[in-house]
Amino acid sequence: MSGRTIQFAAVSSAMAVTLLAGTLLAETHKEYRFNVGPKAGLSVNNPYGSVSVKPSNGNIVIIDAVVASDKVEVDNSLVGNRVEVQSHLKAGADAQSGRVDYEIFVPADASITLHSSSGTLHAEKLHGDVTLEGAGATVDVHDVSNAHVHVKTLNGPVTLTNVQNGHVEVDSLSGNVTLNSVTGPLVQVISTSGGISYIGDFGGRGDYRLTSHSGDIEAIVPDTTSFDVNARSVRGEVHDDIHLQPNPHPTFALTEGRAFWGSKGSTSVSSIVVLRSFSGKIHLSEHATKQ
Amino acid sequence: MTCVELERSLAEVEDGSRPEQQNHLKTCAKCAALVAELSEIASAAADLRANDEPSPRVWNSIEISLRQEGLIRPQRPRHSLLPSFGSQWGWVRWLAPAAAVLLVTLGIYFRQPSHSTSVARVEVKTPVMDEAKIGGLNDDDLLAEIAEQPAALQAQFTDNLRRVNQYIQDEKSSVDADPNDEDARHSLMEAYQQKAMLFELVLDRSLQ
Repeated sequence: MSGRTIQFAAVSSAMAVTLLAGTLLAETHKEYRFNVGPKAGLSVNNPYGSVSVKPSNGNIVIIDAVVASDKVEVDNSLVGNRVEVQSHLKAGADAQSGRVDYEIFVPADASITLHSSSGTLHAEKLHGDVTLEGAGATVDVHDVSNAHVHVKTLNGPVTLTNVQNGHVEVDSLSGNVTLNSVTGPLVQVISTSGGISYIGDFGGRGDYRLTSHSGDIEAIVPDTTSFDVNARSVRGEVHDDIHLQPNPHPTFALTEGRAFWGSKGSTSVSSIVVLRSFSGKIHLSEHATKQ
Repeated sequence: MTCVELERSLAEVEDGSRPEQQNHLKTCAKCAALVAELSEIASAAADLRANDEPSPRVWNSIEISLRQEGLIRPQRPRHSLLPSFGSQWGWVRWLAPAAAVLLVTLGIYFRQPSHSTSVARVEVKTPVMDEAKIGGLNDDDLLAEIAEQPAALQAQFTDNLRRVNQYIQDEKSSVDADPNDEDARHSLMEAYQQKAMLFELVLDRSLQ
């Protein structure tokens, strides 16, 4: 190796270290705390970056923000019993320099509203209302009960796990939606081209409607579940692996392989389930309950 | 009172005037906005007369007049975020509440089985057809709005616009094939809901 090559390598390394150090120095941690009352509200608008919300101990909101650069700053305020957080982009900010990652702790009964275009939106162990919206945001909600859960995404995947007694509405244009143990008086998913997967018990006396234009719909339920289900795909295949008691008075034509309508278990506690796709496949199956 | 409780209580006192409703509305911007929207829709709905629906010719005349006055143009020259009637995107913003009224109207019909079946079916079909005509103009506005976004994002929105239009078209075909198919009408409403959401997401992004 020539002396000139060694000199070039040394200078390059020094520049790389300087740049890396500059980047690390630019990234800053900020923490904010607010004392709030019962059933507080939290609203976060974060164009670039993730937002994760978890329960705090007591009536306090703690915001831990990792700010990527000085091209973005965190504006926050307490209005009444509501904390409002906004990532304020400055001139020239982009997806990298304008990024803020939030980890926020709120009282478990707080209602939260999160917006992000690209980051992950995450909420867990809450029992206040949850509203999550983002174009490409990945949405993950788990262990939420007795609450409204509203999700809107363009193409980000949506996963809801262990949502009990919820009023759940998910709208996704092309992202896949996965519901795992999600029950409540209303569970509705609408997607244009994303697939919808439901795994769990349809609960009791709820309305479940899973609709996709071209995405496939898969529902896997335990063999102890009671429900009334109608499934229909105008152009896709419809399969039913469960022995259903046929509905004698269907309100649409039950074309073989395209639709079915029937019930299972006790009708007095059963939920109403509607599975509909225009060109996607629909598959309903069950798994044995562990004794 | 939680958001859920407030929404339930609105079934009894819809203007949010009860003291416990007022207390909640003071601290919840989302519910306050909901009550405001409901009041607007209620007042707008009172003025709706299904039988007085203007003919398509009236809408065409209005459009021609607006084009002649330069209030709407085929291509918007620059990115504008102001929700004025003077901008092309302003029309789209005014269509959002119109779409909301349409959806609420359809929802009311679906929840009123006591109506005479034949009458209800005729009434439901009329706003659906009108909305489809309005929807045709909106696409250009959406494409203009995303023109200044990165290419990858433009491709995403354009692709989703194409898919949701196909969704509407397919569900419209189902309704046309069997106007008595309540499930198909419901799905058509959901397709429009998806398109409305696409516009909402584009609007959110353009305002950042």
